[in-house]
Amino acid sequence: MSELKRTQLYNAHVAAGATMVDFGGWEMPIQYPSGIVAEHLYTRKCCGIFDVSHMGRLLIEGPDRLKFLQHVLTSNAAALTRNKAQYCIIPNENGSAVDDAYLYMFDEDRYLLVVNASNTDKDLAWLEPIVKDYDCRIRNITGETISIAVQGPESGKMLAKLAGVEDVTAPARNNLSILDMEGHKVWVARTGYTGEPIGYEIFLKNEDAEWAWNRLMELGAKPAGLGARDTLRMEAMLPLYGDELGVDEEGKEMPIFALALARFAVSFDEGKGEFIGRAALAKQAEAQTAFREKRGTAADLEILPRRVRPITLLDRGVMRHGMDVYYNGEKVGYVTSATMIPYYKTEGEGAEARLLEQTGKRAIGICYIKADVPTNAQVEVDVRGKRLKAVIPLKHVANNVPPYVIPVVVQ
Amino acid sequence: MTINPDMKYTKSHEWVKEEDGIAVVGITDFAQDALGDVVFVNLPEAGDEVVAGESFGDVESVKAVSDLVSPVSGIVQAVNEELIDAPEMLNSDPYGAWIIKVEQVNDREELMDADDYEAFCAEEG
Repeated sequence: MSELKRTQLYNAHVAAGATMVDFGGWEMPIQYPSGIVAEHLYTRKCCGIFDVSHMGRLLIEGPDRLKFLQHVLTSNAAALTRNKAQYCIIPNENGSAVDDAYLYMFDEDRYLLVVNASNTDKDLAWLEPIVKDYDCRIRNITGETISIAVQGPESGKMLAKLAGVEDVTAPARNNLSILDMEGHKVWVARTGYTGEPIGYEIFLKNEDAEWAWNRLMELGAKPAGLGARDTLRMEAMLPLYGDELGVDEEGKEMPIFALALARFAVSFDEGKGEFIGRAALAKQAEAQTAFREKRGTAADLEILPRRVRPITLLDRGVMRHGMDVYYNGEKVGYVTSATMIPYYKTEGEGAEARLLEQTGKRAIGICYIKADVPTNAQVEVDVRGKRLKAVIPLKHVANNVPPYVIPVVVQ
Repeated sequence: MTINPDMKYTKSHEWVKEEDGIAVVGITDFAQDALGDVVFVNLPEAGDEVVAGESFGDVESVKAVSDLVSPVSGIVQAVNEELIDAPEMLNSDPYGAWIIKVEQVNDREELMDADDYEAFCAEEG
């Protein structure tokens, strides 16, 4: 086994008593002594900080950078203006994902593309032969920089305090800024992987890592590990490459439009033009629309056999990755990610909602099932030999109104 | 990590305490720490037969599921039903939160005393 890489915050994690694991070739904290449940809940109620320095950070520079990105990404990069970011997917010719990524434009001269840690080398091997035909280059700055996800209702106030400003970015998701915080230059993005309506990812120079981590903790943030990152993203139905993107349990490529959020990641705008996988993706998009409008046909099933959906266990137990899902007695797919996930009970709705002291937990997750299984369908999951009752809800949370993620609990 | 000197231990990190012909079974501090937050316990029912060295249920944490292995053979006299609603008791009080009580004990797994178990845990890291 090759040597595991460590982030600039490795010592801070070990000092905090974190359990360290191998994640995509990096030695990362899976949890701190408080545990995954407490870390998940604290992020939902206040603010969790996550070391995400292991993720691949690639700068795309040179005159042809936009042309190149338009060709290799699914999103319309031309729609990005300075201080904006967008979710995107790196597609292959078949309309399946090489990886999913976030594209940031902090300044006019370059783009920052953040990719999955475990896919960084694969992505570079995919992109390098293509970039040769363009007058631009990819610079891997993963080792020179660090990144911290600052997520939760209090995250914005904490960062604003460090910067001595009212608001760190323009309101709403995907806004960016570059700020001076106590003499340190910080690249701030209103993005994240927790589903929090208020959440940021900050990028810093290596030497500023411990300053940022310690100052955020002094302001009341608590460290959260990869375990809570996983339960938070599952609850918010955010895909993880390898589970909901890439290849399925049979080794077959998953169509990008198996994901509901592909609609926001893939652009067929005129300004976007031709790109890798466009023809296949256009067909998938039509099939997805057909299933969403409950008029999917056998022909649509050929193009989009399965879709990624939320799943909630009704019987007592816990679902896990790989368990088979049955509908009307027929195997229709399998669970891609699931566990028992905690939540705060809530009162009120929208901006009036507040979190109560009481917590609950629910066995929920994500599944990859036949595309025509309807919402609210009663299904069964094979939990180690026992068929347990489950349902396909519309969503696990409502998170469109700040400041709180509101669990949508199936009774 | 704590080890209770009054109990005997299995290699799969269950504890057992026998008193008046009843074997009380739970999981150790080492086990709960390795599992992380326990969120669900699959319990047998009173009257079920358990066999030494074989699974009698399982315990699920956020991270993973782990079999519960019976240290003894016999008949389940009682199960700790508090664990149904509060499985986290296995984290907060591993030696107090018993899982099952077994009667008519007629066989035992190879059990360690507290000192041997401590050495065993040290080896497992």
